[in-house]
Amino acid sequence: MTALPPAARSAALPLPGSDNCVHCGFCLQACPTYLALDDENDSPRGRIVIMKAIADGALSFDDTDAQLHLDRCLGCRACETACPSGVPYGQLLELTRERGAARRTLPVVARLILFVFSNAPLLAVSMWKARVFRATGIPSLLARIPGRLGFAMAMLASTRRSAAGRNRSYSPRSSVARGKVATLDGCVMEGLFAPVNRATERTLAANGYMLVKAESQRCCGALHAHAGDASTARELARANIAAFEASGAEFIAVNSAGCGAAMKEYGHLLAGDSAWSERARAFGAKVRDVSELLAAAGPAQGGTLDVKVAYDAPCHLLHGQRVSAPPLAVLAAIPGLELVPLTDNDQCCGSAGIYNLVEPEISDLVLASKLRNIAASGAPVIATGNPGCLMQIGAGLLRSNGVAQSRHPVELLDASYAQRI
Amino acid sequence: MNGTKGRIERFGPSCVNSATSYFPFVTSLASELSQIVGARHVLQRPTELLVYQSDALPGYHKRPRLAVFPGTRDEAIAVVRALHRAQAPYVPRGAGTGLSGGALADDVVLIGMQRMRRIIAVDPVRRAATVEPGVVNANLTKAATPFGLHYAPDPSSQSACTIGGNVAENAGGPHCLKYGVTLNHVLAATVVLPGGDVVQLERHSESETGYDLIGAYVGSEGCFGVTLDVTVKLTPNPEGICTMLADFTSVDDAARATSAIVAAGILPAALELLDHGTIEAVESSIYAAGYPRDAAAVLLIEVDGALAGLDDDVTAVQRLCRECGAREIRTATDATDRARLWQGRKKAFGAMGRVAPHLAVQDAVVPRTKLATILARNAEIAARHRITVCNVFHAGDGNLHPNVPYNGNDPDEAARVHAALREIMEMCIAEGGTITGEHGVGLDKLGFMETLFTGDTLDAMCRLRTAWDPERRANPGKVVPMHSCREWLAAPGAHT
Ligand SMILES: Cc1cc2nc3c(=O)[nH]c(=O)nc-3n(C[C@H](O)[C@H](O)[C@H](O)COP(=O)(O)OP(=O)(O)OC[C@H]3O[C@@H](n4cnc5c(N)ncnc54)[C@H](O)[C@@H]3O)c2cc1C
Ligand code: SF4
Ligand code: SF4
Repeated sequence: MTALPPAARSAALPLPGSDNCVHCGFCLQACPTYLALDDENDSPRGRIVIMKAIADGALSFDDTDAQLHLDRCLGCRACETACPSGVPYGQLLELTRERGAARRTLPVVARLILFVFSNAPLLAVSMWKARVFRATGIPSLLARIPGRLGFAMAMLASTRRSAAGRNRSYSPRSSVARGKVATLDGCVMEGLFAPVNRATERTLAANGYMLVKAESQRCCGALHAHAGDASTARELARANIAAFEASGAEFIAVNSAGCGAAMKEYGHLLAGDSAWSERARAFGAKVRDVSELLAAAGPAQGGTLDVKVAYDAPCHLLHGQRVSAPPLAVLAAIPGLELVPLTDNDQCCGSAGIYNLVEPEISDLVLASKLRNIAASGAPVIATGNPGCLMQIGAGLLRSNGVAQSRHPVELLDASYAQRI
Repeated sequence: MNGTKGRIERFGPSCVNSATSYFPFVTSLASELSQIVGARHVLQRPTELLVYQSDALPGYHKRPRLAVFPGTRDEAIAVVRALHRAQAPYVPRGAGTGLSGGALADDVVLIGMQRMRRIIAVDPVRRAATVEPGVVNANLTKAATPFGLHYAPDPSSQSACTIGGNVAENAGGPHCLKYGVTLNHVLAATVVLPGGDVVQLERHSESETGYDLIGAYVGSEGCFGVTLDVTVKLTPNPEGICTMLADFTSVDDAARATSAIVAAGILPAALELLDHGTIEAVESSIYAAGYPRDAAAVLLIEVDGALAGLDDDVTAVQRLCRECGAREIRTATDATDRARLWQGRKKAFGAMGRVAPHLAVQDAVVPRTKLATILARNAEIAARHRITVCNVFHAGDGNLHPNVPYNGNDPDEAARVHAALREIMEMCIAEGGTITGEHGVGLDKLGFMETLFTGDTLDAMCRLRTAWDPERRANPGKVVPMHSCREWLAAPGAHT
């Protein structure tokens, strides 16, 4: 007969949604860390068991094994897409990390990065230094040296765009007006991928959107929320809500999947804050990935680009936001572009925010299978809509063959528009 | 467990106190195993063993002492031999998707097979594949697809469960109605016996020489040895497939349609029934398949085969469904539409997780002709105990799966679920049915074995087990209740 579950413990903290897990195991094969490490402790089901045990009081937050396996999670949320039972894995993880944050210290690198991202002037200076360094050409030279330093150099080098990519211009000719859009600059996007931000603005305008500026916007707070620093994440969210409300925009366009996923969930992040919860929900409802806005407008066709492209879905777009078709619609608007299949393009590349900096070995394992699949696809260009993935894949490609490139879909659309419009 | 030590001659120390006799040596055993598989692949700290305490029926929790994950055949053999030397009991585990509490036991060494997931060979000419036991069922079909072949047994858990687990449970699936269960598809297997011998089980032809060891091994629930590799048949993809969804305003009508289709001599590839509660759960999940939410039941019917004749079967099925009261019959328009209809069915069990925090599931096989009566009695028992039963099952072969979503934190509700399921199973047995179609006995159905089998039969089963595993260290405490083994009881110092 079916045994009865153990009685609920009195000291239990709530972990909403964790009871939905029926232990069916459907998420195992979707999880990159399970596939790389072959241990259920590094699978969604295993991590949920650990998180429940912590919430029940059966395990301590300080348990080093629990920390080890939770830290190894990429936060890619592929498990949510696979789960028939609707377990909100990402929320369980953030809540557990938030509760544990007070009791443990993050690795030095992680703390440093989070601090820089929450401090606007410091961030601006850091990004400026990175650009100056990139311009010296040294990162390209050092990109192939072994180890993490070489990888970091390759990441930076991969963000470089040619003069042609930086200086495109054409005048929008759309006859339909589709509403006011404010774009998120994004720390890394504006810092290292400014040409992609300009391409985002041009392609949106070319499709009839009217661009307005949201002044004094901040970092989206995604990295902080993922790392358990919910209070900084909330502070940043409130600042952004105010900034975008003031812009009068109907839509908030985001070209970084990680930021978009976090901003769509501001309602959840601020659910407990009665002064802000309603505004946060309304804000979340306006957030769109740039590909969603472009796809809703068609998008307009551009000029011919003869190029073979493989699309890799960013986890926070596919699993976090459940946006799958729009990026393909963006690529389909480019005549001449041949989209070739990429095996397991729904699997994480191992970038995962700052994961590749704090868990380099596992990140490398996950990246290695991505690079194998890319090589097998034969595509010289990989399209993906997230700065972390652009850098991770870009760096991997630079270090392995030096030929293929990673590009944001809007960059390709922009290049196509520059041919014709 | 409190056997008297020291008086054992016939079975070695493990037979009386198997679970505890190696405890003093557990640390040295762990380091010996680490030398075989690498330290990273041996777990011994309690936190890391937590997830290995249950399978997909998480009401059961059993604590292993150690977990070891061999990466190759040689490592697996060395592990089993080390456990033999240490006289340590063990339990094999695949993906832990079992629904009978099979891959768990207290105080054992758990041997996880998920690292052994190589597809060793696909032979399109012989239409066979040889795989390691940790290969996921769906990945085998993926590997066969380029050759126009597939692996026919398709448990609903196929995207997660392993071939090793399928062989151990003799797994079935929706398409086993026409194509047969795992047993019908296993051609050969290499097994390391609990004593460390490596044996090759083979089935050469219809005219068998010697005992059919494959027949004995498939479905042995990890009690006979650890599977090292399996050679299975691959099946050619059918020329044509037609998937239909018939919707009914009463479960009774759907059950009658099932009998009518089979009675008419049509053998559908699959014939599945989902009732209202199940439809609701599926349609609220990300696997929403477009099942009509107001239907009392739907039948998911697939016919396949040579293009010639397929249309006749389709027409006949549709006519029979209408005659039995089907409101509407939808036909899948293309492969995507078909996949969507199937996803809903295959993810139904998982989708119940959203209904209530806990889920109990049973697995009975009943005579198909009595389906309608049995479903009605099911509903009556459920109502009397004030519980919800959602039915989703292989109607074509009379394999019922009553699913009960409930709140286990409420002791009263839990007790009612317990009582109702027991009553349902007893009713199924009384109607000429049996207690498991495909999930195995494991721990969950141990209590029914004596209702179903005579003492002599159970004793014969015990003797068969003893032939493979004389020390009873392989998946202890499963399938046959210990106290029904006469030879066992006769052993000096035996315990039950
Ligand atoms: C949502 C859902 C739907 C399901 N649908 C079906 C279905 O349609 N049909 C069906 O038949 N089952 C079904 N099942 C049950 C389950 O998936 C099967 O029993 C499956 O065969 C178990 O495989 P596994 O790899 O998960 O094995 P586990 O659960 O890990 O183990 C099952 C048994 O196999 C033994 N074992 C595992 N590997 C080996 C090995 N290498 N050597 C020796 N013994 C081994 C274990 O000791 C245990 O006794 C379903 C389960 C779920 C959760
Ligand atoms: S798929 Fe969902 S319900 Fe199933 S084990 Fe994973 S998280 Fe739990
Ligand atoms: S978020 Fe990604 S890495 Fe983490 S458990 Fe889910 S699938 Fe695995």
